[in-house]
Amino acid sequence: MQVERIKFERTGGFAGIRIATDLKLDDLPDEQAHTISELLDDLDFRELPASLVKEEGMADQFTYTITVETKKWQHTVITGDVSAPEKLQELLQLLNRLARTPKRQ
Amino acid sequence: MHQRHPINCIVPPHVLKNIATKGTTAQKELAIETLKRSEQMRGQRQALAEFATAAFRVAVGGKERILYDAKNGSSLPGTVVRKEGEPPTADVAVNEAYDGSGYTYDLYNNIYQRNSIDGNGMRLDSTVHYRVGYDNAFWDGEQMVYGDGDENLPPSERIFNRFTIAVDVMGHELTHGVTQYEAGLTYSQQPGALNESMSDVFGSLVKQYKLQQIAGEADWLIGQGLLSENVKGIALRSMKAPGTAYDDPVLGKDPQPAHMKDYVNTVSDNGGVHINSGIPNHAFYVVATELGGFAWEKAGQIWYVTLKDKLKANSNFQNCGDLTYQAAGEIFGAGSIEQQAVQKGWAEVGITVGSTTPPPPDTGGGGCLEALLRLLGAAPAKGS
Repeated sequence: MQVERIKFERTGGFAGIRIATDLKLDDLPDEQAHTISELLDDLDFRELPASLVKEEGMADQFTYTITVETKKWQHTVITGDVSAPEKLQELLQLLNRLARTPKRQ
Repeated sequence: MHQRHPINCIVPPHVLKNIATKGTTAQKELAIETLKRSEQMRGQRQALAEFATAAFRVAVGGKERILYDAKNGSSLPGTVVRKEGEPPTADVAVNEAYDGSGYTYDLYNNIYQRNSIDGNGMRLDSTVHYRVGYDNAFWDGEQMVYGDGDENLPPSERIFNRFTIAVDVMGHELTHGVTQYEAGLTYSQQPGALNESMSDVFGSLVKQYKLQQIAGEADWLIGQGLLSENVKGIALRSMKAPGTAYDDPVLGKDPQPAHMKDYVNTVSDNGGVHINSGIPNHAFYVVATELGGFAWEKAGQIWYVTLKDKLKANSNFQNCGDLTYQAAGEIFGAGSIEQQAVQKGWAEVGITVGSTTPPPPDTGGGGCLEALLRLLGAAPAKGS
């Protein structure tokens, strides 16, 4: 699949600080764009359920919302920390960093 | 031929719970695994809470801590690195989590006569070095988990230090366990913000207890030291002045309100549980400073009794105000200065409690003693 855009939002956590980013894959360095595309392929992202949240009884977990857009479809997945599959955790970590780092001067 | 273990067959949950509580070690483990997997148990933390004491954590009758290292992975609990009574290790996060959960145990045990999270000696399990670049700490329903902040970023980009750096974080997380076993406050909207506030209140009290500070000396900050030197801020939250802990180009401004008129309606963060907690947090701060002295003694006692005996899963801020007012009356007497302080604390955040004029202070002693004497027929009934 040819991913064009990813929207990412992280809320909650001990600090309760929201971070978010809206990325066009074309704007990213090739290597980063490639890694993201590969992770999404491995995950079969489009087939993931809309909600992976199973954090009942937990406190201070992050909640992540990821929306992936291609020319043909758009799919949004909401997940917690513990409930995210390992591959998705890799993607979350990457997006998390991208959402934060470019802004500080 | 493959043999199925009887516990893995269809066994009713109540039977599994019995096995989890009373069976042999191997049986317990199997029963617990099965219960955890079963659909019936999903989301029923109270059911989990009922048997967790005896099964998961053998009651040991005292302080029992185990520290685990996730070694930057996501498997919990990880590898055991320090047990109760063992000397400090070379790992600062391990020692901070060990000491922090110890101070928290001591506050609950020495001041509120509560033996651990469940009141029955539950072992305190903590995992440090969870994942890579994990800027968070959480309670997973069974144990405390701490990340290292932004250790994977270049120093100039770091926002968070390790999450064990502030002792109130351990008090906060462990109190989520206490709340789970007591009020069971739903983690959403106002009940969720109360859940968060209780964790901040007792987290701050743990810090004050450790430092033996009176209310006027305490900083009333949550997560002091957690923000790196790159950030314009002193902590993550301020109970004294919600909304002022940080104001930074990357993090934004501390969004906590200190008054109901500024209550934040949002779907994020389970309905703003870490945001609107500023309101009950500030009410507690006002009560504690109004009363002076060690905050854990009077204000803390009122809040603890409210958490343990009065709040329900769906209680809102108004309920909490009313119930702390009630608790203050029961512990210190109707119209006592303690009850008046509670009234003032909630009034400052825009919540009216005890709106009817309180009766004049009793002249013949405190509420508990008087109530007991009344029960024994040795004191006249109220209003007679």
